[in-house]
Amino acid sequence: MASETDRKDLLEMFRSMVRIRLFEQAAYDMYMDGELPGFMHISIGQEATSVGACSALGEGDYLTSTHRGHGDTIARGLSIESAMAELMGKADGACKAKGGSMHVADFGLGILGANGIVGAGMPIAIGSALSSNYLDRKTVTLCFFGDGAMTTGPTHEAMNMATLWNLPVVFVRQNNLYAESTPVREYQGIPDILKWAESYGMPATRVDGNDVQAVHDTVLTAVERARSGGGPSFVESETYRWFGHNIGDPGKGRPPEEVTAWKARDPLVICRSVLLDDGADEASLSAIESEEQEKLAKAIELGRAAALPKLEDALTDVYGDQTLAAAALGEVRR
Amino acid sequence: MTEILYREAIQQALREEMLRDDTVFLIGEDLRDPWGGTYKATAGLSPDFEDKRVLNTPIAEDTIIGAALGAALSGTRPVAELMYIDFVMRAMDAVVNQVAKVRYMSGGQSDVPLVIRTQGGGGRSSAAQHGNSLEAWLCHVPGLLIAMPSTPADAKGLLKTAIRLNDPVIFIEHKLLYATKGEVPDDEYTIPFGVADIKREGTDVTIVAASRALLFSLEAAEELAREGISAEVIDPRTLVPLDEETIFESVDKTNRLVVVAEGAERCGWTAEIAARVQEARFYSLDAPIQRVAALNVPLPFQPDMERYVLPSVKDIVAAAKRTLDA
Ligand SMILES: Cc1ncc(C[n+]2csc(CCOP(=O)(O)OP(=O)(O)O)c2C)c(N)n1
Ligand SMILES: [Mg+2]
Repeated sequence: MASETDRKDLLEMFRSMVRIRLFEQAAYDMYMDGELPGFMHISIGQEATSVGACSALGEGDYLTSTHRGHGDTIARGLSIESAMAELMGKADGACKAKGGSMHVADFGLGILGANGIVGAGMPIAIGSALSSNYLDRKTVTLCFFGDGAMTTGPTHEAMNMATLWNLPVVFVRQNNLYAESTPVREYQGIPDILKWAESYGMPATRVDGNDVQAVHDTVLTAVERARSGGGPSFVESETYRWFGHNIGDPGKGRPPEEVTAWKARDPLVICRSVLLDDGADEASLSAIESEEQEKLAKAIELGRAAALPKLEDALTDVYGDQTLAAAALGEVRR
Repeated sequence: MTEILYREAIQQALREEMLRDDTVFLIGEDLRDPWGGTYKATAGLSPDFEDKRVLNTPIAEDTIIGAALGAALSGTRPVAELMYIDFVMRAMDAVVNQVAKVRYMSGGQSDVPLVIRTQGGGGRSSAAQHGNSLEAWLCHVPGLLIAMPSTPADAKGLLKTAIRLNDPVIFIEHKLLYATKGEVPDDEYTIPFGVADIKREGTDVTIVAASRALLFSLEAAEELAREGISAEVIDPRTLVPLDEETIFESVDKTNRLVVVAEGAERCGWTAEIAARVQEARFYSLDAPIQRVAALNVPLPFQPDMERYVLPSVKDIVAAAKRTLDA
């Protein structure tokens, strides 16, 4: 990491990871306080994978994410105001309070949505990659999925199609070692994930998912390959979620030593020390942290002050065509 | 007007819309010539367009529909084909959890210009996994529009509309209608969704049916006429949205209703129509609403057994008479 641009990039990545960490911690706390409804999957511990991969994208590129999508979408640029308002169920949330945690999306940023259905983002990523080739746009689709999604049917349908049609898509598997309670070795019949992915005719690379720079470099290679017509790639990003599967799961199934060991490899701490080694000063890093803390506090404040949706807003956005929508919805007896 | 096959009506609609808009493309299994689709509905298109406009896929229904959705969200207007409606089960997550809901879940951030063409229905000894009528399942899902044309003219006009709409449409053809003939306007035309067509006017009893059941209903009306009973036959053409006003007005006139559909009776489409009419027009009715649908069993293979299980002209005539006996 020699040049000035690299330093600036890494500082930006650090900032983004801080933003996600603070957001997720706040979401967790607010949820525990009963302020946020629904259920929620916190991505603390996985920030480097979200940020490293998203920072390899350019304007016009697409992203599909998962049920654990706060980090991925914020890394891609989703504003914490609209994300927080969405979690709070406020009218000006990212999805007008109709999606919530598992469906955060920002089509303007190419974020085609988190997804409540494991594996369901893969086919959608095939579609946006298909459009890119069809329209000759040179855009790339980054498809995040969890380790557990690897064994779902659509994943394999999608990987086959990606190769068959030489699609500009990068599959990034966020391997946090568990799918809910089940460790990878207990559900994966083919232990060598790289071989498995390569069998679909695409390069597969393993990367330290807690090293934001390594993730960035690896995904960037894949993104550039896709953009230049080289087709799909697969990245196995090894990381860990610090919390339970969803809020409410104490995460007891995992050995405490394992949790401790992974927490010792905190992606933010790793990035911080790289920056410090490279000559960044402590004060500027702390400044980033306090700036992000402030922005988050403001987002929460805004969210708390924001209006709830009107109940009848539940009836909009079902269809785009308003005449057909009125006819399809029928008489509302409420 | 020119007489063409229902199959040709589909081909014409696809061709005209592909010519009109470069972003319209077809995606599905075995669409390209010389095969041209299992029921030949896409025959003749692949030789006349760039390769990318007619995309043959692997057998992967979930991903065909999911990919069509991703494409629809990113600047193109795919027309996907599910070879049989029975295979929608393989794609049910994509259709129900993704396609139908993405606009809503995202708070209206994106149009979803996607058509899913498929075909269903029995009567061809296709047995229990290739002869289903699953439209009721799909009607149950908020966020989808459902068209189910019975004639070549309706098929062409509705499909052109479907392709131009910015909402997801399930377009259900019938395997035994592809070879039927009908007059189609020579000039460019479209047919709006949510507008029923009174296929035969009458005064004594209203019969509501779509797709092939509509043809049965017209035959039944003919038979009833010979016995001096005047049946009005209404084709809703789109099941979602449903033009209930046309049905209500007809019931106000005839005071009797028979609803016909090929799917199994229990929780079927006929139940929905019956429920809506009794809610809105209970006092117009002079007799209990009659439902004519398939018996509640999987579709059997043997042709006579299949005919026994599916609704027939005879069943419709009998149902109409029951409303008059009451
Ligand atoms: C099709 C489907 N099956 C099951 C679930 C329930 N579920 C939600 S998340 C999850 C585990 C997913 O594991 P992984 O893909 O590794 O992602 P992680 O939660 O570890 O981020 C399961 C089983 C679901 N949402 N969708
Ligand atoms: Mg996992």
